[in-house]
Amino acid sequence: MNLRRRELLIGGAAAGAGAALGQIPGLSSGSRANAAGASGGGELKEQVPFEGEHQAGVMTPRPRYAVFVAFDAIAASQAQLADGLKTLSERARALTSGYDALLGSPGEGPTPDSGVLGTRVTPDALTITIGFGDSLFDQRYGLSRRKPRALKPMTTFPDDGLVAAECHGDVMLQLCANSEETLLNALRDVSRATRGVLGPRWKIEGFLPSPERESGAGRNLLGFKDGTANPDVSNRETMERLVWAGRGEPAWARGGTYQVVRIIRNRVEFWDRVSLPEQELMIGRDKARGAPLGKGAELDDPDYSDDQQGKRIPLDSHIRLARPRTPATEDSRILRRGYNYSRGLDQADQLDMGLVFVAFQRDVERQFETVQRRLAGEPLVDYIVPTGGGYFFVPPGARDSQDWVGAGLFL
Amino acid sequence: MRARPIVLCGLALIVSLVEIGCGGGGEEQTTAQNPPASPLAARVLLSGNIPRVRAADFERPTAIYRRHVLSELAPMQRDVEQLRGAIAAGDLPGARRAWLAADARYESIGAAYGAFGDLDARINGGSGGLSGGVSSPEFTGLHRIELALWGRRSTADAAPYADRLASDLRALRHAVPGIEIEPLEYVLRSHEVLEGALDLQLSGRESPWSGSALLALRSNLHGTEVVLGTLRGLIRRRSPRVLQRIEVSLDELAQAIRAAAGTGGSVPRWDRLTETERTAIAGLTAAAAEQLAYVPEVVDPRPPLPQKSAIGTEQTG
Repeated sequence: MNLRRRELLIGGAAAGAGAALGQIPGLSSGSRANAAGASGGGELKEQVPFEGEHQAGVMTPRPRYAVFVAFDAIAASQAQLADGLKTLSERARALTSGYDALLGSPGEGPTPDSGVLGTRVTPDALTITIGFGDSLFDQRYGLSRRKPRALKPMTTFPDDGLVAAECHGDVMLQLCANSEETLLNALRDVSRATRGVLGPRWKIEGFLPSPERESGAGRNLLGFKDGTANPDVSNRETMERLVWAGRGEPAWARGGTYQVVRIIRNRVEFWDRVSLPEQELMIGRDKARGAPLGKGAELDDPDYSDDQQGKRIPLDSHIRLARPRTPATEDSRILRRGYNYSRGLDQADQLDMGLVFVAFQRDVERQFETVQRRLAGEPLVDYIVPTGGGYFFVPPGARDSQDWVGAGLFL
Repeated sequence: MRARPIVLCGLALIVSLVEIGCGGGGEEQTTAQNPPASPLAARVLLSGNIPRVRAADFERPTAIYRRHVLSELAPMQRDVEQLRGAIAAGDLPGARRAWLAADARYESIGAAYGAFGDLDARINGGSGGLSGGVSSPEFTGLHRIELALWGRRSTADAAPYADRLASDLRALRHAVPGIEIEPLEYVLRSHEVLEGALDLQLSGRESPWSGSALLALRSNLHGTEVVLGTLRGLIRRRSPRVLQRIEVSLDELAQAIRAAAGTGGSVPRWDRLTETERTAIAGLTAAAAEQLAYVPEVVDPRPPLPQKSAIGTEQTG
């Protein structure tokens, strides 16, 4: 650990500490993410259509639970791969709309449905979002000429602590739902339906705080509101500019988007040993309410115009580096849709928890990577360690009941 | 080489509409004859009306398998004698080579483990269920020797266990001609051997010190192919499609193992394979198990259960 960073920060921004009134997010560049925020739990009949111009799970509100699974394509041929992807969409369509479970009958062989959801598979706001990694477009399946323009393998950044076993993948499935059992039933179902075509490579589960706890963006496990500054998903022009892939892309890819998934471990025991003012200066927001330091409310503009020296919000604070709010940097904004995670202990018996950072954008270099480069060496890096993830292209949605996600790749 | 349409068929996934018109016997009712209430019914591969198999039908398969077991145990005994010789000479690399050969033999006879009684635990037991773990006096056999040779790099530590393994193995060879392989257990093993490979081998649980999971998997696959070979006729008469799908999935797994294991004598450690290789092999093992899981239904030696309709399932009567 490099404590010098923290000392520098405190020295440079001592004036800001007293002004720390604000609120909000943690690791992000933000947004009013989910305009709708996290949706309420328990609505088993809540249905998010699988079909559409864009895939569900990007602009749609975040349900409380998510699982991210990266797969390797292990099919022996392009035809097998296409068959598996088609099957994946068919299962996704069924699972997201609901049906009477097929529990099986004597003599019929293995039980078709897991039974985890009882006799009725309810939609429960389930979304299944399918993405393709750079490696899917290598020589194996003859798809290299169809590769989306800006797709590439995830970059390793200097502050990363990547673990090979949870990086990259040919296919990413993002499943979100109101309950964990719906997610796990769906995961078992689609894994089974694509067995022999997609082999699971790594997986991580995420959750959001209860939306009843407080309004605005939810909190991450650093205890800060996170995602406050997200672009407005209801603004079509903003979405076209920041999220949906268009000009310059192969025809099949237009209307898709690029997804960055990063498993960002939070060193929570260490973080909890840091005082409130120090935490707030590293983040740039007030912990209680989420407001930018010196401002009153979560959604207030941090207003850097009167703070060129960073006396109120330090120049190296997370929110200021992530989104400087200058005309030149507004094009690097991303649509964040992350989840918190928690999964056991590490070798030093420290809690392994943090953020499954998820961002959608039109161009990974122009957006996520630009933000990431600005964040290099920020004081917060002592407390967070990216350990895994990948870059994926999320194709446009299935247009109708005969279409399937990725079909355009094989035309 | 199989013709392409068959390959596509075998690959057809459980749900897939592709299955319609994809060959196969009349016993599988597909949506072609009986349009189901929902297309999901196509996920059900068998009609539930498969002709029963008589107990007598299993006499020959299990007898063939018993001969297979003996034909593996004889060379295994020689491997174990080599192992003892190498241990006596303090030859660690030689002992390891002999151990790998012996273990691979034993891993190919998994469908009969259940008939071996206590001898199986003495020869091939792990430490996970023993109070005291690897220090338990009940932890003996191949994996105790593996701990000595790889974990402790000690031939001396292995010596008493190798002697005991040799005598347990002799006892087993003596017992095998008289063992009873239960038909139900036998048909269940057709997929359970690979389920065991996923659970114990590919997870690294069973052979953590030698890293011999890939070698073990190759033997598990061989043993599975022997079982399937003895049941092939019974399966084909009841569901040629199930048989076809199984054979395609086993071929694909065999190819992936060959690609990772190479053609030389020594097979790489499982933990030395790339993430991508391990994912592919584990995925194809699971895919084969998925297909093999139909075997116990297709050739079920038990008396028929009363037909009842499960919720949401079309009565196929």
